[in-house]
Amino acid sequence: MKKRTKTLFVLYLTPIPVIIISLCIGPSTIFSFKEALYFLFQYAIGQTPDTPESAMIKTILFDVRLPRVLLAFLVGASLSVSGSGLQAIFRNPLVSPYILGLSSGAAFGAALALAWGFMHIQLSAFLFGLLAVAISYTMAIRNKSVSIVSLILSGIIVGGIFTALLTIVQFFSDPFKLQSIVHWTMGNLHNAGWQALKTTYTPLVLGIIILFIYRWKLNVLSLGDDEARTSGMNPEIGKIIILIAATMASSAAVSVAGIIGLYGLIVPHMVRMMVGPDNKTAIPANILFGGTFLLIIDNFSRTLAAFEIPIGIFTILLGAPFFLYLMKKTKIGWE
Amino acid sequence: MGVNTKIVDIQNLSFSYKKHSVLRNINASFNEKKMTVVLGRNGSGKSTLLRLMAGLLKGQEKNIFYKEKSLDSLSLKERAKLLGFMSQHHKAVFPFTVYEVVLTGRVGHLNWTPSQHDVKMALQAIERTGISHLKDRYYTELSGGEQQLVMIARVLAQQPQILLLDEPTANLDLKHTVMVMDILDDLCKDGLTVIMALHDINLAARYASDLMMLKNGEICAFGQKEIITEENLEMLYDIKVKIIRNVEQLYVALPGSGK
Repeated sequence: MKKRTKTLFVLYLTPIPVIIISLCIGPSTIFSFKEALYFLFQYAIGQTPDTPESAMIKTILFDVRLPRVLLAFLVGASLSVSGSGLQAIFRNPLVSPYILGLSSGAAFGAALALAWGFMHIQLSAFLFGLLAVAISYTMAIRNKSVSIVSLILSGIIVGGIFTALLTIVQFFSDPFKLQSIVHWTMGNLHNAGWQALKTTYTPLVLGIIILFIYRWKLNVLSLGDDEARTSGMNPEIGKIIILIAATMASSAAVSVAGIIGLYGLIVPHMVRMMVGPDNKTAIPANILFGGTFLLIIDNFSRTLAAFEIPIGIFTILLGAPFFLYLMKKTKIGWE
Repeated sequence: MGVNTKIVDIQNLSFSYKKHSVLRNINASFNEKKMTVVLGRNGSGKSTLLRLMAGLLKGQEKNIFYKEKSLDSLSLKERAKLLGFMSQHHKAVFPFTVYEVVLTGRVGHLNWTPSQHDVKMALQAIERTGISHLKDRYYTELSGGEQQLVMIARVLAQQPQILLLDEPTANLDLKHTVMVMDILDDLCKDGLTVIMALHDINLAARYASDLMMLKNGEICAFGQKEIITEENLEMLYDIKVKIIRNVEQLYVALPGSGK
């Protein structure tokens, strides 16, 4: 118990310094990490020097890096928190935000827009992501109720259909467009600016807030429908609210950052291994750790090489070994 | 004996799954602050009756009355404060601690997160069920019997006036069986009404005030202990039994093979 309190303490304290450090690192060779940090300090105490150099640092820090840092944090937080919420309502630790075909739908939407440009890429990805989940859900309804197994099954099938459609689009695209489609599906944040943040923060933040409000009630839902209903909570209403919040947030995340593989599956597990399965503490921890961890990964992807390495690759190459380490080390008994 | 107040009233209740009829024309009233045990063979409709009374099966809420209010007129939160239910099987997925599981029983009393009072009630329920030593253990790592005790603590934390229990002693050893039945007996003395399905007739004979015998979805006997007769039990279970009575206790024995 004491160890968990310590872990929580660290989780709550890390986001701010990580955000500040992330602002100060980047591929720019005009100023150093130290200079950037010093600028931030001056800015904080309201003593920014009136030089062209400082104006330039300000532009890079606040117009280029800050929106990307915020977006990386929000995308990471919403994928993790959605994964955690969905695992609770599906009563299944193998569930991720992509389980209902969201990622395949969004990838198809983005590919359509990239290939034929009929719609804004981000909007098209968002709408097709939602569409895939809506189809999966509608197909699973039987006698006015939805069983978890049929929902997961229909999600996998609908995901398969959209993947097939995506392949058709790729097949008929010229090599140049094909490259941008493939690049999109690997996940990246290089388009993140104030514009991207403005168009996506509402669904991202709203989804995170709803899941935060429901954090403790997720425990009730994950015990089972009968137990929830007879102790005074309507499980159907609770589950549909969580499903809508998670789908909205993760569709927005995918629309702006592409498919960041495994993230919404492994971060909830990492958090559970660090602070335990009680969603009352796990949900805030998912928001903070999920956000911070993606920010760290994004820092690697934009600074490690001269060109940007897609973040989706990094989440797997960095996240998966860390996950495996925690899994070996922590004693949480799955049956 | 005095006059018993009726707390639950069931009128013309029938229920079927698709075409298979499970309960037919049930009419029954349950006494307040008493323990009523429902007896019957597997598939006789015991669980279905309890699930209907708990509001878990739809369509018959108008035929079930609690303190003269029909079940469909009560919100889920109102129901939770009136009746608690414990199912026969419960399977947990996430390794919550015992305390975290028990605390979820409070959901009908709160808006979003548990208060200090809810925590207190959960801890009291844990103490009452005698599982304080298991409080911080993972629920998923406990034995079946221990899990059963946790679910009993959970339903007690809910503080309902009526407990609907589907075979609460099914996974328990002798010691814990008696312990749970004693707890339930005490709760009745404190003013709770307990209605439960049981398979152990001896246990029923020892603890119950009232007994209901269900066969093929119909009530074939409903009354106090005097309905435990060899004829009734043979009719109920299709098996020969012998009843041995001493001064204060009655025992049901099974002579021979049941053929």
